Amino acid sequence: MAAAVPPSVEPLSLEPRLEPQLAALLGAGELLPSLVDALGSPLAVVLPDQIAENAARFRAAYGTHRLGGQVFYAHKANRSSALLRRLAATDTAVDVASLGELQHALGAGFAPDRIMATGPKNREFLWLAARVGATVNADSTAELDELAALVRAHQLARMRVLVRLSAFDGPGVRVLTRPSRFGIPAGELDTLLKTVERHADVLDLTGVGYHLDTTSAEEKARALEGCVRALDACRNRGLRPRAVDIGGGFGVNYLAHAAQWERYTSELTAAVLGHRPPLTWRGHGYGLRNDAGTLRGALGLYPAHRPVAGARYLDDLLALPAASFGGRSLATLLLENLYDLYTEPGRALVDQCGLVAARVLEVRRTDSGEPLVRLAMKADDAALEEHGVLMDPVLLGRDGARAVAGDGPAAGVYLAGSLCLEADLITRRMVFLPRLPRPGELLVFANTAGYCMDFQTSRAQHQPVARKVAAWQEEGSWRWCLDEQYWPITRPGGEP
Amino acid sequence: MRYESITEAIGNTPLVRIDPAVHGLRHIDLYAKLELLNPFGSVKDRAAWNMARPGLTAAAEHGSQVVELSSGNTAKALAVIAGMHGLGFKSVTNRMRIPEIKDLLLLLGADIEELPGQSECLDPTNTDDPLTLFHRELSDPGSSYLHTDQYFNPRNTEAHATGTGPEIVKDLDGRAPDWFVACVGTAGSSTGVARVLREHDPRVQVVGLVAAKSDFIPGIRTLDEVHEVGLFDPATYDTVAAVTSDEAIEGMLTLARRCGILAGPTGGAAYYGTVRHLRSLDAELAEQQGAGPAVRRSAVFIVCDRIESYLSYTKRRRPDLFRQPPRRNDPADLTDAEIAAAPAVETPDAQKWIERDRPLVVDLRSPFAYAALHIEGAINIVDELFDELVRGGLPFSTRQPVLLVCPVGEQSARYAALLTRMGHPDVRSLTGGVIAWRDAGAPLVRD
Repeated sequence: MAAAVPPSVEPLSLEPRLEPQLAALLGAGELLPSLVDALGSPLAVVLPDQIAENAARFRAAYGTHRLGGQVFYAHKANRSSALLRRLAATDTAVDVASLGELQHALGAGFAPDRIMATGPKNREFLWLAARVGATVNADSTAELDELAALVRAHQLARMRVLVRLSAFDGPGVRVLTRPSRFGIPAGELDTLLKTVERHADVLDLTGVGYHLDTTSAEEKARALEGCVRALDACRNRGLRPRAVDIGGGFGVNYLAHAAQWERYTSELTAAVLGHRPPLTWRGHGYGLRNDAGTLRGALGLYPAHRPVAGARYLDDLLALPAASFGGRSLATLLLENLYDLYTEPGRALVDQCGLVAARVLEVRRTDSGEPLVRLAMKADDAALEEHGVLMDPVLLGRDGARAVAGDGPAAGVYLAGSLCLEADLITRRMVFLPRLPRPGELLVFANTAGYCMDFQTSRAQHQPVARKVAAWQEEGSWRWCLDEQYWPITRPGGEP
Repeated sequence: MRYESITEAIGNTPLVRIDPAVHGLRHIDLYAKLELLNPFGSVKDRAAWNMARPGLTAAAEHGSQVVELSSGNTAKALAVIAGMHGLGFKSVTNRMRIPEIKDLLLLLGADIEELPGQSECLDPTNTDDPLTLFHRELSDPGSSYLHTDQYFNPRNTEAHATGTGPEIVKDLDGRAPDWFVACVGTAGSSTGVARVLREHDPRVQVVGLVAAKSDFIPGIRTLDEVHEVGLFDPATYDTVAAVTSDEAIEGMLTLARRCGILAGPTGGAAYYGTVRHLRSLDAELAEQQGAGPAVRRSAVFIVCDRIESYLSYTKRRRPDLFRQPPRRNDPADLTDAEIAAAPAVETPDAQKWIERDRPLVVDLRSPFAYAALHIEGAINIVDELFDELVRGGLPFSTRQPVLLVCPVGEQSARYAALLTRMGHPDVRSLTGGVIAWRDAGAPLVRD
């Protein structure tokens, strides 16, 4: 094999995967340009009907395996009221990770029996959860003690708790898992259950769970089996918990074409090894480095093309064999033991649920000749890079028409934000657009509702935070309103 | 042939000619280097023995554990070698994707550690890849490991430069082949053999085969992954080509069914890739032959390991190769109408029926679930076992009423329909299963 690969002349595109609703919004002509004209750049748009459809897909995966239980939307993925209120109108539940999120969920119409409080919690958060009767997913025995004391001190009703376990072990092969700050090691179950029994008058243990930060289904399968073993230990002591909470991490498939992703990552490898011109700002390697001709490090990127993600990932996970229970499927294991399944999808539930649009301010070349496009937004307004998601924005002309290949010579550009910081690059990689953008046009970051819309956005330099709009289709035309004004019964003009 | 130790049987593998009627090349003699005949079953025996040997005495003194990043044949050979010398062996791997190899390693006494999968909530500032973690553990003060380091250890390449390569030249009567083809895993065998052959005759063409990018062939790296291998040097290969897992299995079938060579998919990939590469060259040779005297060329490919470990790998990709004979009394033969018409009983009526007629209650769930909670008096016959039982005929007297119980009433309905078809007059399915029973507040016991 020749050492030097000739530089690629073709654009290395990473086209976003667009389902019908998001594709329709991008094809809605002047709608997006006029919204940005009116409400400013950047602008976030969410699609409440899409989240309901996603929730139905998760429900369907439960149905396939005949499992009962709840789907809890991990609210932290997006702060939108519209998405939350639309979900409240379905049978989905919600996972809240702060006092503010709990208030938001209650205000959106979730009754406490559809709310679970997770994550690090302060006393006010615990009190409100206990007061309204939401379920608390506890991270430590100390938290159970604190909760029990709170319930007793304020003479509140007995409350439902789940406990999060971690560090599972199993027979056969030792599976290493990233250490987590959260959860009680499964080996300390005995201490945990003694705590639960001591507080039996005020705490009702309804289940156990885990949340693993991994894409590996095998690790999750191991943890799920560990939970079933823990629940059996509970039954042995006369406790009757019946839910297994397997957390989230079902993933999103961001890209339309597997071949583009494979080609891009191969070219990135070649660029890091110096076999082709750089693809990134100042030779950034996304975690890869060249060590005397050998590739070292690990690609620090989200696997943007994932053929199996979201509800299908759940479906596949449930079909995996439970190795330590004779190889019957995990779904069968849950079903036969009469356990309910809880899931906490965040990113996967807001897949295809929104976009961020920004105005092109300037197109120029840097002193070293790099083409640079400056946008009226900050990098944290569509934090794809921050989450390691590589996906091209969509270029919309002044009339809203989407630029497509062949409109002009393809243009490889770097995207910069409006902060006067060297680091405010929206992409550290060269993004290939169908043609060079012009000032006044829009670049639209599609499918950013999960963590890449408002999770990290700041008011640095008194720059505006994106306004958020909810949009939906009715009888073939688009309707919209400000996010906070959306309710599932909202009709234009207040019609019934 | 008599040996003092099994390790002496490593190497000196046969070079076997492939019948031209099978490969169809008219001007090229094709030879397979049968590395599968090494004592522990693969080409990796050579590298494992050569890498481990110098450190074994010291390791035995310190009670060290042999450790390697391997999910396959190297781990297998090292597990055996470590065991022979009274040492433990630990294999650290990304994912052990071949269940038979995993079980075999456990059987041989190996420890296996699987590294965590990729993070779902990515933190781009954390570039601690699993390999970094592994190397940190190796260099922990107080740790005592014999790390063979197959991807970087020059003794891996050396095993082939002093063994495999010279053996090929010797068996070809002192000549190097015109083409040498090998799959690239650690790059040890291809690099070592290529070096020797080129010293012998610089005109030898070396073809490295890799897996297609999103594909998986055991023991072969993909085009991107080869760059992570310290021993990999692109200059070793005149050509690098990709093979798919379908092609590997095709090649494996040809070798097994037509050549009597029971090679695994890696050997199959090597055969397929070799013939594909040579086909056009053979045609060119045919054109040249018209003009001058007949010249015969030769090519050698490596058959890395054996077929037996890859039954489930093959089954998943080619279920058509594993025909099952039709079976009797198969619930899959039932029509939807038959299942819908299966006799069933709701929880309250079932409770009364149990009280009155004492039917045999058969719980089809797993023993674990049954032990946890069940209907009082029920016996447990797990569905897989029940399935086997009914294939032989009715397992109950027709005078004994039977209540079948499963989680949600689906399986029990199928078996109730099947037993009814087989002539049982009073078998019923518990509607909604044990979940409906629980939700109706009926009692469940734990013994």
